[in-house]
Amino acid sequence: MIDNNFDRRDFLKVLGWGGAAVALSGCGNTSVEDGKETVVSYVEVAEYVAPGISVYFNSTCAQCDAGCSISGRVREGRVLKLEGNPDSVINRGKMCGLGQAGVQHHYNPDRVREPLLRSGDKGEAITWDKAYTLIAEKLNGVSGDQIDFLTGSISGHTKALLGNYLESLSSKNHFVYEAVSPAVQRAANMKSYGMEMPRFSINKAKVVLSFGADFLGAWVSPVHFSQQYAEFRKGVDGKRGVLVQVESKMTLTGANADRWLAVRPGTEGILAMGIINALGVAGLSMPSNVQEAAKPYDKERVSKDTGVTTESIVKLAAILKERTPSLVLLGSAAEGYAHGSQNAAAINLLNQVLGNVGKTLEASAAVPFPQIAPTMGNTAALRMVNNRLADGQTKVLFTYATNPVFTSPAELKFKENMAKANFRVAFAHYLDETALQADLVLPLDSALEDWGTLVAEYQPEGVQISVQQPLMEKLHPETRGMGDILLALIKQRQPDAYKSFDDYYAYLRTAMLKNKSEFANSGMDDDVFWNGVLSSGIINVGGNLNKLNSKPDSSIKLPAPAEQDAKYPFTLIPSVTANLRDGRHANQPWLQESPDPLTTIVWDSWVEIHPKKAAELGIVEGDIIAVESKNGAINAQAYLFPGIHPDAVSIPLGRGHEAMGRYAKGYGVNPFQILDRVFDEETGELAMHETKVKLSKVGKRVIVVKDEGFAGGAQHGKKIAMTKSSDQVDLSEEV
Amino acid sequence: MHRFIRFSILLMGLFAASSSYSADAALEPLTTADDLGPAIEQPIEFPHNRHAGLRNPNDPSNSDPLKGGMEINCMYCHTYARRGSVAGIPPLQKCIGCHQNIESVRETPRIKKLFEYWEAKKPVPWKKVHDLPDFVRFNHERHIKRFVFQQNRPVQEVCGACHGDVKTMTVARRQKSLAMGWCVSCHEKDHVVAAAGGMPVGSQAYWYSFKKPALNGAGVAVAKGPNDCSSCHY
Repeated sequence: MIDNNFDRRDFLKVLGWGGAAVALSGCGNTSVEDGKETVVSYVEVAEYVAPGISVYFNSTCAQCDAGCSISGRVREGRVLKLEGNPDSVINRGKMCGLGQAGVQHHYNPDRVREPLLRSGDKGEAITWDKAYTLIAEKLNGVSGDQIDFLTGSISGHTKALLGNYLESLSSKNHFVYEAVSPAVQRAANMKSYGMEMPRFSINKAKVVLSFGADFLGAWVSPVHFSQQYAEFRKGVDGKRGVLVQVESKMTLTGANADRWLAVRPGTEGILAMGIINALGVAGLSMPSNVQEAAKPYDKERVSKDTGVTTESIVKLAAILKERTPSLVLLGSAAEGYAHGSQNAAAINLLNQVLGNVGKTLEASAAVPFPQIAPTMGNTAALRMVNNRLADGQTKVLFTYATNPVFTSPAELKFKENMAKANFRVAFAHYLDETALQADLVLPLDSALEDWGTLVAEYQPEGVQISVQQPLMEKLHPETRGMGDILLALIKQRQPDAYKSFDDYYAYLRTAMLKNKSEFANSGMDDDVFWNGVLSSGIINVGGNLNKLNSKPDSSIKLPAPAEQDAKYPFTLIPSVTANLRDGRHANQPWLQESPDPLTTIVWDSWVEIHPKKAAELGIVEGDIIAVESKNGAINAQAYLFPGIHPDAVSIPLGRGHEAMGRYAKGYGVNPFQILDRVFDEETGELAMHETKVKLSKVGKRVIVVKDEGFAGGAQHGKKIAMTKSSDQVDLSEEV
Repeated sequence: MHRFIRFSILLMGLFAASSSYSADAALEPLTTADDLGPAIEQPIEFPHNRHAGLRNPNDPSNSDPLKGGMEINCMYCHTYARRGSVAGIPPLQKCIGCHQNIESVRETPRIKKLFEYWEAKKPVPWKKVHDLPDFVRFNHERHIKRFVFQQNRPVQEVCGACHGDVKTMTVARRQKSLAMGWCVSCHEKDHVVAAAGGMPVGSQAYWYSFKKPALNGAGVAVAKGPNDCSSCHY
């Protein structure tokens, strides 16, 4: 009897030889598809187009609001790869991974391809004419204050046109919402410096002290700051700049720092005041009211509150005093508390005490055209819309470039409140969670197919208006540009005022030419000017500098560190990663599959826990942990990570979609859902780091899919680098 | 015992697979009539002979299409060959550019079909005659630059080295095998490249036929042809 089980080894041997034989016999036949494949030539073609030769067009990256100018490689009418535009002062020819994935936004198979009208649980494809008529019908008889527009950060001519449309509806309800934004910082900067976003010159600083600002990863304008950082490391005076990062959970920037200080969550402001106190002790002169304000923050108390050793505080003060100018930065980690504004004020005060204002922190230029100047989002806007929806004040809701159903805490009940509006219109690229709740979904052109302008909030030199132009023909004939849709809608209201514009392109060109004298020589020929704009992809305007008005505010009220909650002993840090940020690009597989820089985990969420705490709780890597707040629980795999404060756990944002297509749906968990409803006391911003959680093991264990070996595991007996704990490092030696 | 029988059965499968290789190996030498590609039906039976063929000495005006061609340079239509890696099929507008002024053939079936495509603004769905596998890169530009512009050889001879005597064909048909061994047959003979220090470029110890290159008089190894696999393979 021969049983059917081949010996595995024999089978593989034969398979191997057989494969080789087939491969060899294949060598003779090269012209594999002679006469089968079609080779389609052009009908008519521009002179510069040749098959096999790439052409580059400049445009603007729309993956975030930093306004990086890009250069797209186009071959045979298809955009293949994006590079940075060297002429842009923002990104100077460079690009980040998030931007690179922009082509996957464009070619994404899950894009919405025609207008969809709700019919029960399904979307029924309708024509654009029908969609526009429907909007006009639904707006009929609705007063202006019952019409709300909820958008992401917006700038450029889309903003101008949207403003005009709202005006034509006599609505003032434009709410600009970003789930992840430095909004508390903007308010604090306004108070301290007289402007929301000054210019930071990391490259001119000798020491950078960053309170959780992940400027190499996801903070404000990371590509620009990465280049500044490179210069900073070469050193202004030939000595390498020193970077000290203070945060409760290590970010990419923290991992690059000379010294990483784990601070007890929420005590960043106390540490800043402690450093001011130590600077005073070290003999730095400062106004008496500041000295007075810092008096209670002696190093012993601060050390006790923050968990940072007194030696570290003294050393930090010493190096900051010795090496000037320095620069103190403030990021989301310090902002995200009920006393976030106070933390921010204390950190700004430290900058002022150190005399950095005017040296490494300078005035930014004002955008000379207020109607296209950026309006940056915050979470207070979401709260307002949510309240209006809950009270039934909103009858018609438009959403654009934002996904509040995904990014708002479940406790706000945005999804339920949204259902109270009579008619909901979503301008969308994909059927994301918010679009699924809409009655009408209007499909948008991708950022690589559309016209537009983008003005970034952070302007390193003068003001750069980044021009967005199509890099290729539309992939799907029934999508429309946002500008074109707005123009069609506004023509319903004011047909005469806009009849001369056939499309958004015409509007954009006319608007730019109108201000030609601001951008270029006014005698320049219109076509020459316009072609120049399109070929360079950017317009630089000088812009008058905002007035830097530094007002040291010593009336800072910092609460004592929160007592540990016996029931919910951990602080949840919803971390912002450079790849996924607030999750709007989670359906771009390159971003899902590129390993997280710190943990190397791909395609899934994880819970970062300090190894000591994990040992106490009996948790090992891969254990599925239920992370439970007052508002719900999510389950994710444990990852033991020494770069986190023992009192905190961290889950990255961006994953855990329930919709948005095949690459986003069902991967990981969404920590937005379980956030507590705590707001910054001054600005009303959602305090993202105020959520307290407890952990419990679910009783399941998985293998964590990641690039590295076991975290903290033996390197097969090889000693790669001498290890030294951070306490043993003498910082003054490094100076 | 059973194990032995099972192994033998599997080995027989191996011989069956390898026999297909030996059958191919018997096809040597390279470049024979057997390398002729399949006759391909095209949407329009384009007469290469009429366009590129030699003029009829007895009829300088070429009024009779059966009696001679117009000696149009290959690169007049396949203009991309000297500019990029692919030779390209000319855009339809190029055909029309001439043919809108040639009244004599305007009503012939092929030209009528051509204008139908043009009026519908639809490209002609030509079938590929020369198709290389997707892992092979052949650069037309380099070959044209070297042979036409540096060595001043006649264009038809240069193109014909790989594409055959197209001026005598109507619809083109593959004339050579275009297999790697066939490429190498020229490169080993005519394209002697001394790699720096006798080592192949990119330190890739690869030579055609997997033989080490011969040493020259000075004792330096002389490699032939492109030394780096990635010159031709992705």
